[in-house]
Amino acid sequence: MGGRLTVWRPGSPRAPGGSWIRAHGLEVALVLPLVAYLALLTAAPIVETVRLSVSSPLDGGFPSLGRYRALLASDLFRAAFRNTLVVALLSLVLETGLGLALALTLHRRFPLRGLVRTLVLLPLGVPTVVSAAVMLLVFARSGYLNALLLVGADALGVLGIEWRFEPVAWTVEGGLPTLLTVAVADTWKVVPVVTLILLAGLQAIPEEVEEAARVDGATGWRRLVGVILPLLVPYLTAAVILRAIDAFRIFEVALVLAGRVEPVLGTFIWNRYAPPTSDPFTAAAAAIVLFALILGFVVLYLRLVAGRQEVTA
Amino acid sequence: MTEAARRPAPRERPRAGTRLFFAAWVAICAAAALCPILVLLMVSVAPGSALFGERPPLFVTTPTFRFWRVVLEGGDLWAPLGKSFAVAVMTTAGALVLGAPGAYTIARLPARVRYGVVVGLLVTRMLPEFSIGVSVATRFAQLGLADTYLGLALAHLTGVLPLVAWLLVGAFEGVPRDLEAAAAIDGASRLATLGRVVLPITAPALAVTALFAWLYSWNEFLYARLLTTSQNTLPLQVFQAIDRGTRQQMAAVAVVLVLPILGVVAVLQRHLRPGALAGAIRG
Repeated sequence: MGGRLTVWRPGSPRAPGGSWIRAHGLEVALVLPLVAYLALLTAAPIVETVRLSVSSPLDGGFPSLGRYRALLASDLFRAAFRNTLVVALLSLVLETGLGLALALTLHRRFPLRGLVRTLVLLPLGVPTVVSAAVMLLVFARSGYLNALLLVGADALGVLGIEWRFEPVAWTVEGGLPTLLTVAVADTWKVVPVVTLILLAGLQAIPEEVEEAARVDGATGWRRLVGVILPLLVPYLTAAVILRAIDAFRIFEVALVLAGRVEPVLGTFIWNRYAPPTSDPFTAAAAAIVLFALILGFVVLYLRLVAGRQEVTA
Repeated sequence: MTEAARRPAPRERPRAGTRLFFAAWVAICAAAALCPILVLLMVSVAPGSALFGERPPLFVTTPTFRFWRVVLEGGDLWAPLGKSFAVAVMTTAGALVLGAPGAYTIARLPARVRYGVVVGLLVTRMLPEFSIGVSVATRFAQLGLADTYLGLALAHLTGVLPLVAWLLVGAFEGVPRDLEAAAAIDGASRLATLGRVVLPITAPALAVTALFAWLYSWNEFLYARLLTTSQNTLPLQVFQAIDRGTRQQMAAVAVVLVLPILGVVAVLQRHLRPGALAGAIRG
């Protein structure tokens, strides 16, 4: 990243008679520590990962696509890839939908709004590992979701509706129930982030715009789709991209809730690297695939949804 | 958007049914956010019989503090708590010391370069933390930084800085250059201008940034796992309890990890004006 800075053209005219250093010395001094840090602890490790991923562990051959070929041939990797895609897309849909609904709710005025706002944002403060632990208590076979559903089945029975509910072992069932569990667990923790970003967007919409739509007789739904959502697009894009980056890299929650039955790329990479396998080469190649997946998603999203909107200034 | 500006707008009053529906929706949202945290509290005081079996009871009726005593007296709590706290503080300080000056310079770059730098920083976040973490762990082992507080804080910064830069570049861009020029005409040095003009204006954004950095470090699991051989951080302690502790012990450690943060979030979210984020997301 740092390399870019050496080619920048000064933003302001040169100080008369002064050198470039004199005019911009302060800025350079301010940015240098950051550049040094990023070069050593971000850029260098990334280069190292790329190098590992195209090295051959057997004969030290370089460059070699052997690791990538091995990945493609691995059933476990293909399952991890598919699961990552499913979990990430599920949680993105859940998080964006719920986040938007919550932001619209909190943007209105109602009694106790401050309290509700605090409660709804609380999961933001729950560490990911803890959210995984909580969800283990909720989704286990003898967990609270099953208990609740059993109570529900009883209540329906009292009303004369026969519904036999068999407790589901959500986290060890495998397949869609387990992936859904992971997505829901992730959603619970991060919806507040999306809510905050979209709330910022809603507050940036001038009151007159909504007022004008109201005066023109647009109903609530039409105002939302026709007026508010288009103005929210930059914020939605920022939220989706920020979330996508983390959703595809999902790790702790998947490790705790689905670690033994459904691999995702995050846990796959972890297991390649960890002692029984100890294969940093394959781990690095899988990391690059995950990176490409995220980059691909973001580019695709920007092309399809955001059009020519630019996310940052 | 002041209260006064809102008031004159004549607004149709929603019907009772709509209001009821809205109230129910708000209640469900609040409950859904809160319940998992309550479950955690409840399980930490549950007797063993309340958690297992074909049909566990929904509520714990006979709380026991047996497991809390084990956790509090077992010596596996205070040291991780201290380490997590110290590392989070160091990470926050580092994020502000490295991030704020750097972001100021980036914010003063020509628009296209600035855009490229910020996007480039975000792209580094698309790599799994793992791939940066492994290489950092190897290097730290050579430097004697593995298993130190400083090493872990430095590692956490790799995850924090891209976000910090993104948030702060947006904030510094919002400071008009004319303001700085005016201060210069009044004879203030550039550094004084930064300290007395630019920093106060961007204080809310700096506070949000600090909060994010703190939370990231307090939450962080993977770097901690890779760089730790002796002293666990709290998230590692929770993970260990998931692996081989009782559910109650896991819940008790988790409660310790969560409670201070809930306090922080509850207090700070009042000041955490969404507007502080807006600078980063302008269309």
